[in-house]
Amino acid sequence: MPRGLWTTTVGSFPKPPHLEKARQQFARGEITADRLGEMEREETVAVIRRQEAIGLDLLVDGELYRGDMTTYFAELTPGYAVSNPVRSYGNRYYRKPVAVGPIRRTKEWTVEWWKFAQAQTKLPIKGMLTGPYTMMDWSFNEHYPSREAMTMDLAAAINDEALALQEAGAKYIQIDEPAISVRPEELPLAVKAFARATQGIKAKTITHICYGDFDVIYPALLDLPVDQIDLEMANSRYDLLDRFRVNAFTKEIGYGVLDVHSHRIETKDEIKEGILRGLEVLKPEQMYVDPDCGLKTRTVEEAFAKLEAMVAAVREVRAEKGITA
Amino acid sequence: MKIQTTLAGSYPKLPTVAGDVNLRVVRNRRDAGKATDDEVAAAVRATTRRMIELQNRIGIDLPMEGQAGWDDAQTFVARGLEGIRIAGLLRYLDTNTYYRQPEIVGPIRWTGPITAGEFREAQALSARPLKAFLPGPYSLYRFSKDMRYGDPTEGARSFGEALGREAAALEEAGATWIHVEEPWIGHARAADGRAVRAALEAFLAGHRAKTMIHVPFGSPMAVFDSIRDLPWTAIGLDLVGAPAGWEILPLVPKGRTVGLGLIDARNTRLEAPEAVAGAVARARGLRPDLDYHLSPTASLEYLPADTAEKKLERLVASAALAAKGGA
Repeated sequence: MPRGLWTTTVGSFPKPPHLEKARQQFARGEITADRLGEMEREETVAVIRRQEAIGLDLLVDGELYRGDMTTYFAELTPGYAVSNPVRSYGNRYYRKPVAVGPIRRTKEWTVEWWKFAQAQTKLPIKGMLTGPYTMMDWSFNEHYPSREAMTMDLAAAINDEALALQEAGAKYIQIDEPAISVRPEELPLAVKAFARATQGIKAKTITHICYGDFDVIYPALLDLPVDQIDLEMANSRYDLLDRFRVNAFTKEIGYGVLDVHSHRIETKDEIKEGILRGLEVLKPEQMYVDPDCGLKTRTVEEAFAKLEAMVAAVREVRAEKGITA
Repeated sequence: MKIQTTLAGSYPKLPTVAGDVNLRVVRNRRDAGKATDDEVAAAVRATTRRMIELQNRIGIDLPMEGQAGWDDAQTFVARGLEGIRIAGLLRYLDTNTYYRQPEIVGPIRWTGPITAGEFREAQALSARPLKAFLPGPYSLYRFSKDMRYGDPTEGARSFGEALGREAAALEEAGATWIHVEEPWIGHARAADGRAVRAALEAFLAGHRAKTMIHVPFGSPMAVFDSIRDLPWTAIGLDLVGAPAGWEILPLVPKGRTVGLGLIDARNTRLEAPEAVAGAVARARGLRPDLDYHLSPTASLEYLPADTAEKKLERLVASAALAAKGGA
């Protein structure tokens, strides 16, 4: 009986309103870091419990203690400053990192959070980092003479953190590179930097890539030295499958089936149809089913309703196809 | 000799002064059911007023409206055209910003003004004539998913015809300059020249207003031969992101204007006016017969509002230095 169609998520979960409020209060100096940390830990436990209850196979800590996926790391790293808000789309803004000196990792970024999260569950928790190419591309640069110099300094820093996560016991380490799909001429740099960032890593490595032009980077994307590439499939109506028919997808795939930018809760049947379409060109043991991207832009209720529909769809497909987890 | 200063697209919507109307906050309140659509519309107007007043105060010669009510550079216009359906989010080239992808599901047709009313309202707020903004027809085609034409030349031409009608509506609303954002022309290959020409030829036909074909992030060199003779007034170059744009200057027909994008809209590092004025002098040395605009390389919305304001100040200081012949 084949195994596969494991369920997971891409990383972030929505912060409940009272945690958002607490973060704003902390920013205004109205509550202490200890109090905010206490609330973040409480909500992290709650997110893990809900992932367990839904029946996900591979969990995340939910990143409730992080703001943006680049800014969080920049705030902990000498050589980085952080800008005032910059718009990404519509009414969404983030504080963008600014390289103002040599970037060095002088303390752990995520290891304590990973240890805390893993202590809450017997299921595996992914270590979650942002990749060197994306950190570079999504930063302003007031220091480095070239994009490559900045990327490789970041790769060395990220490698230190990945090794520390592995040392702590992480069996899955996800290093997201969503920016990789936008400058095809720099794909070799992204590959080189990813190899440096994962040097010495024996844990399963994953990278998440989304919302880019895959026509220009596929199948070269498969050169990335990583075990699993996580892709948004639902957002592009599973068009990527046509490319996989021409050039086989040779790695594990994180197979996105939920539109994280829509309030609408997908039906079990439509998710199931998307998974079945995937099984026409992919093997079940290649596939980890998940949302298209992080869920932090949804409400808490929307996020879990979407995941419940996703798990229900996977269970039906598994039952119909005789696939076990 | 004076060089005209202008923007190259939208402007950050957030205020830099505490207490000013914050469109982001009002929209969040609307999404939470605590503000109305009318309140959002009022915040858009207040933000537009602030953007225009800022440009007037700093001394921008050819200000722009700033697109306070737009989510991205495409969707606002695309959703107003017949034959277009708006779909999922895609990353906007390599900018870490996003847009909703237009899908071409039927013949593209212009059925009525989309931006002209907004332009007219904004113009009433400005002491100086505003430069209107439209997404470029070739880029709008490339940003879209073609489920109708199957031929880039036909699809791009259809967008050109539709957006040309919108440009005419902007002229009726009083626009004397129209800025056309064409990032995909900077990514085009020579083989794309036919589609690029078809788009711009259809768009440019029969206008009174001056037109700026602005190419951020790349150089239009690969297709410049295909569009060289078309009746555009100005070609806008991103000389920071694509220094190869300098090679265009010797090829620009006499009597045209070149937009020198020399203020980096994608990095917070501030330019030295002396260096910018030096680059202007270089352009004038290469082609003394052309007219020039001085601008950011792209929309300033890639920057935080406080930095964008400083960039505008550097822009004006650079132009003043260039006028004195300093470098």
